[in-house]
Amino acid sequence: MNKLARLINLGSWILLSGAPAVLAAPIIPGLISSELEPELKGQVLIEELNCVACHQSEVPFSSRSKKAPRLSAVGSRVNPAYLEAFIRDPHGTKPGTTMPDALAQLGEGERDEAAKSLTHYLLSLKKNDFSLQPPDAVAAEHGERLFHSRGCVACHSPRDADGIELLQEKSAPLGALEQKYSVKSLTEFLQRPHASRPSGRMPDLRLQGQEAERIGHYLLRETRVPGHLSFKMYRGQVWEGLDSDKVEAERAGQIQDFSLERFGKVHHQTAVEYQGWLNIAQGGSFIFFLQMNGGSLHIDGKQIVFEEPSNRRGPMTLEGTVELQAGWREIQLTYFHTGRDPKFSFEMEGPQFKRGRIPSSMLSISDKPILAFEPLKVDARLAVRGREQFSALGCVSCHDDLKGAPKFEAPFGKLGPGKGCMSESRGEWPHFDLSSEQRKLISEALPRAEKRVLNDREQIDKTLVTFNCIACHDRAELGGVASDRDAYFTGSHPELGNQGRLPPPLSHVGAKLTPEWIKEVLLNGKRQRKYLDANMPQYGEANVGHLAELFGKVDKLEAVTFPKIANIQESKDAGYEMMGTSGFSCIACHDFNGQEGGAGALDIANVTERLQKNWFHLYMRDPARFHATVTMPSYWPGGQSIRPDVLQGDSGQQIEALWAYLADGSRAKKPKGLSRQSDQLRVSDVAEIARGRGTAGYRGIGVGYPERINLAFDSEEMALRLLWKGEFVSVNHGSFRARGSDRIAFPPGIPFHRLKSMDDDWPYKGKTDYTFPHDHGYQFRGYHLDALRRPIFQYRYGDITVEDFFEDVLDKSGVAKFKRTFRFDSLSAQELFYFRAASGKKISKQSDQAFVIDQLQLLITGEYQGLVREGEPGEVLIPLTLPQGRSTLSLEYQW
Amino acid sequence: MVSQRSIVGLLALSLTSLLSAEDLGSMWGTAEKEAKYYPIVDIPIPPTIPMRTGSFEILPDGRLAVGTRRGDIYFIKGAFASPPTPEYHLFASGQDEIFGLSWKDGAMTATQFGEVTRISDTDGDEVADRYDTLSNNWGYAEGHEFAFGSKHDPEGNIWVALGLSASYHSRNLFRGWAVKVTPDGKMIPVCSGLRSPAGVGPNAEGVMFAIESQGPWNGCCSLKHLKEGGFLGHPASYNWYPFVPGMDAPAVEPNSPSRLQVEKKRVKELVPPVVRFPYIKMGRSISGFRLNQTGGKFGPFENQIFLGDYTLSIILRATTEKINGVWQGACYPFREGLATGTMHVEFSPQGQLVTGGFTTNRQWPVRGTEPFALQRIDWTGLMPFEIKEINIKNDGFLVHFTKPVDGKVAARTDAYTISTYTHKYAAGYGSPELDQTTLKVTKAVPADDGLSVRVHLDKIVEGHIHDFDLSTMKSVDWEPLLHTKAYYTVNEIPKN
Repeated sequence: MNKLARLINLGSWILLSGAPAVLAAPIIPGLISSELEPELKGQVLIEELNCVACHQSEVPFSSRSKKAPRLSAVGSRVNPAYLEAFIRDPHGTKPGTTMPDALAQLGEGERDEAAKSLTHYLLSLKKNDFSLQPPDAVAAEHGERLFHSRGCVACHSPRDADGIELLQEKSAPLGALEQKYSVKSLTEFLQRPHASRPSGRMPDLRLQGQEAERIGHYLLRETRVPGHLSFKMYRGQVWEGLDSDKVEAERAGQIQDFSLERFGKVHHQTAVEYQGWLNIAQGGSFIFFLQMNGGSLHIDGKQIVFEEPSNRRGPMTLEGTVELQAGWREIQLTYFHTGRDPKFSFEMEGPQFKRGRIPSSMLSISDKPILAFEPLKVDARLAVRGREQFSALGCVSCHDDLKGAPKFEAPFGKLGPGKGCMSESRGEWPHFDLSSEQRKLISEALPRAEKRVLNDREQIDKTLVTFNCIACHDRAELGGVASDRDAYFTGSHPELGNQGRLPPPLSHVGAKLTPEWIKEVLLNGKRQRKYLDANMPQYGEANVGHLAELFGKVDKLEAVTFPKIANIQESKDAGYEMMGTSGFSCIACHDFNGQEGGAGALDIANVTERLQKNWFHLYMRDPARFHATVTMPSYWPGGQSIRPDVLQGDSGQQIEALWAYLADGSRAKKPKGLSRQSDQLRVSDVAEIARGRGTAGYRGIGVGYPERINLAFDSEEMALRLLWKGEFVSVNHGSFRARGSDRIAFPPGIPFHRLKSMDDDWPYKGKTDYTFPHDHGYQFRGYHLDALRRPIFQYRYGDITVEDFFEDVLDKSGVAKFKRTFRFDSLSAQELFYFRAASGKKISKQSDQAFVIDQLQLLITGEYQGLVREGEPGEVLIPLTLPQGRSTLSLEYQW
Repeated sequence: MVSQRSIVGLLALSLTSLLSAEDLGSMWGTAEKEAKYYPIVDIPIPPTIPMRTGSFEILPDGRLAVGTRRGDIYFIKGAFASPPTPEYHLFASGQDEIFGLSWKDGAMTATQFGEVTRISDTDGDEVADRYDTLSNNWGYAEGHEFAFGSKHDPEGNIWVALGLSASYHSRNLFRGWAVKVTPDGKMIPVCSGLRSPAGVGPNAEGVMFAIESQGPWNGCCSLKHLKEGGFLGHPASYNWYPFVPGMDAPAVEPNSPSRLQVEKKRVKELVPPVVRFPYIKMGRSISGFRLNQTGGKFGPFENQIFLGDYTLSIILRATTEKINGVWQGACYPFREGLATGTMHVEFSPQGQLVTGGFTTNRQWPVRGTEPFALQRIDWTGLMPFEIKEINIKNDGFLVHFTKPVDGKVAARTDAYTISTYTHKYAAGYGSPELDQTTLKVTKAVPADDGLSVRVHLDKIVEGHIHDFDLSTMKSVDWEPLLHTKAYYTVNEIPKN
């Protein structure tokens, strides 16, 4: 056995230790979970193991047997070391595989030899370009989510955070994928699985965009490729820390050295974490020189340099000294590309090392050697030998894309239990390592297998089990979503309940959907339920195309007598009326012709294209009959309409009217209430208030003033958020949205803060700052109204009670502006703290009390003075020291 | 000076044409019979007022106060007159959605989504000018983060039930908890584990309860006991225990899927729902409730809880009792055919039940079709033949009736069909009814006065809803029951 192959076997053995020994038996997930009758289960096994490939039958049966993968391009798809190990010991390498061990009868030496020759043969078939790529940990995180939500885990085992398979014994096996695929080859496979596996058992999940690649990175995240440095790159408000919810990890991988140019263009507001090992030839004292806005350097876990990043200043020159011993030293560097004129340089000086950049040659991602992937050099002699064996051992019978004479064994009709493949002993036949239960199922199915003509229902059941449709769809008396996989079915609209996350049941589907629509879904990838996270996979017309017709033949429900419509226009009008908000408000939940309804339930504009009219009538009368936990109510409870005023309250006529209206499809008149109507709140001669979510967060207070200027105040942070002119707000229940024009926005954050240094960030409530701003000493206390009903906000900041009052006043030329007065009542004299008066991109200081911030003019009218703090954005701060007792600060805002 | 809207609000109306409300919907099929005892009366609303009721209160002078989704508070005079002659006055405006009102010491305390606010009029013009925030110290940063408030408890606290974030998660402080806000504005967390609570209030013994909605970890809607230190079933809100001094997180999380009666033994803080409302049979999204203490003015159901259902536009009754230290009880159909989605109910000083609510074209379907409505259910004084209350005994139940039963019929064991079932207790959404059993009635003994029957059973199933069907029961006058069903949730079986 060659060394690599042994290593692989050892690997998979470790992976499996502790798992039950029966795992070697082939796993066909649909068989485990279904309620299929035993004889049909036997037949599914006969087809899934492709018995007829060797045991020919005189009658054409099992024509949809599972073909083995196409091998002509396997060299570009699969790592040759894995290929050899798998051929040598398929069940040890990938427990649960349906691939038989064809080499079992050979002695140890012959076995190794045969596996090697076969591998050389397969790689000789086509020029191949297999190579390994380092995994991207960020893509892998996305991939983990996708793998567990797109539908992969309906058949394959879900995994825990460490990658341990949780339902291995009842899932289609994957084996140690990082030994088998490269990110590139796995991605290509996931995008076009039927190119190499035409039998469609592995469906095409119709993954979009980067999804296949991300799943590839996830499944191969253990792949090890030699390199110099690992990195992870972040984007966003990085100066707040890399775990901030305003920062997103963008990508990860390997890079040659610390120079920034290697990344190509680096965007402003980026951070890079580098990690690797530094090879020190001669020990001694080392100095590290850094120029950067902020970041840290650690060696062997010890902090050498640290600087908080700030978006308000330029780069810093930093250095650190450390004693290092010769050998591999772990190095971690975090770099923040932010602030003014971001710049990065990193140099080292030490014994036998003149000050300069660290070259790649001294860096490695690991302190232990990592073997590089070596492509296999095909040995022509071995390839010829392998080609002979490919036929002699019978491989060619199943892998029939390679030209070669199949090796036929006893005809199917002559087969009996206990012999050959069906026996437990070793011999000159492929070994499937069947479980005793599987043997029993096949043995009992054998006598009738060829002759039995399946009726339509049996054909449906067999197909649904073979392709494991029942892993996602319930079908009465056959099976459905297993309880241990249920939690992996998720959706984007939780308020739709189970129907918002589970694929629809297939019970009665032939009586529900039109045959055309079934074909669209099954063969052309049409989707109606965009809120489901799971995709509808495609299995190929040759494999499942027959279902469309069979469903229609088998599924029958009682026939409804459709009412006669006297006047079609009257009926359509009634349907239109019932659909809208003045009727049943169907659009309260359902989308309509691409326009969103309230809850995002499925679009009903194409109902008549998808559904059979008979089913529509039955469903509308009693939705709960078809879904036990349906959220849709019945509008005809007990057959009685809740709208006796429409069409004389005749239930049948009403349902028919909805159908008639919907039959116009996308041309149907838009139902009433679809566009959201909002109430405008107008201001007269006193101020108006609107509270709630919208313009100023969730605890917003909008105030419209008689002089037609308005503001939004955030009572969560006690801060001014928006000024605007003209019309006040639109109100919808507890939410308001600013109308008008000339908006001046203020950034999130509290009004007052004790900055420790001018580099400090101004605090605001992040998603996980649960007790903010109470932890900064703030408490909102409400407001009272003056005679013009203008609010005087009240809150506490530490031991200062604040009254915050905006008045709308006119200047000499009659233009409205806000006068803002703070009245402080402080229990003690207050040392220096700051009020942030405004913030913007372009700030000009006209005097110590007058500033122009973008479109806003700010005037400090008392004795206090302001200062400009640069940054993105810049700020006008007013330093405050307060006496004990009462004091005031007053300002004016005009724009 | 009064705003234009207040002037519009001061409207007197006397519309008689709208008085006989039309019965919408027929689910139990009892609306017509119910109307004989409990007719529905419309309270007219002027076209300018968006009266989407979130909560009710009765003012000391007998006026009705209504808090709305729009964030306004109206005082209505004449709402309880027959026929109603409502005059609307806008007392306060511009708040977030108001789902809790309580009048005390000359001020209205309102629970809105973001805070508890004490609203008062200091200059005597009957229009509020002070809005003092008592507490806004819970997280409020996502959709579905509703807040429902109680009336003042005897200590002057307002209890607030906080719905989960986006109805599934607890991503902001104390979502999924009940808290109480003291008169001086302190917020004290009470218990975790709520999902999407609605009304909050006490039972006759003064113990605080909240309504809970069907969904994850809730097989159906229920009435829950806000027990201090308790965990009410949905574990998403476990993450806030570190923010509650002196309260430790439960040692374990509930397993899923499981059963309540199994998990309450593992998670010792778990407080099982007091009354479970079988889905669809007894509502889909029950809402605000109120205790009937009208002294008999509303008929025979004194000290019982009356509650609405939003989706089905119906009114239900519930009773509670404490067994082995744990609250449990039963629910009963009462009235159907309300005009809109019922959000809250209130008893008038005259002993009428006021109901109000709304439908929405954005969120949930509702059987009643009016966008909003104020209605009243009056008692005509005629006594309906109803199951009044069911109490549990160690080997069966004591079933009370509003009128004497026919002794012969009531003594027949086959007059009582009692089946049981429970729900999954699981992270998935809702649950079908599971583990069905049928109980054998071994003996039925009517009391001498015929007003109750002691029903003996072969067994009682702990953790199950006991579904009573008494469709063959007759009163002494050979009258059938107005509603033949009742549902008793057995958390505990009395020891003797």
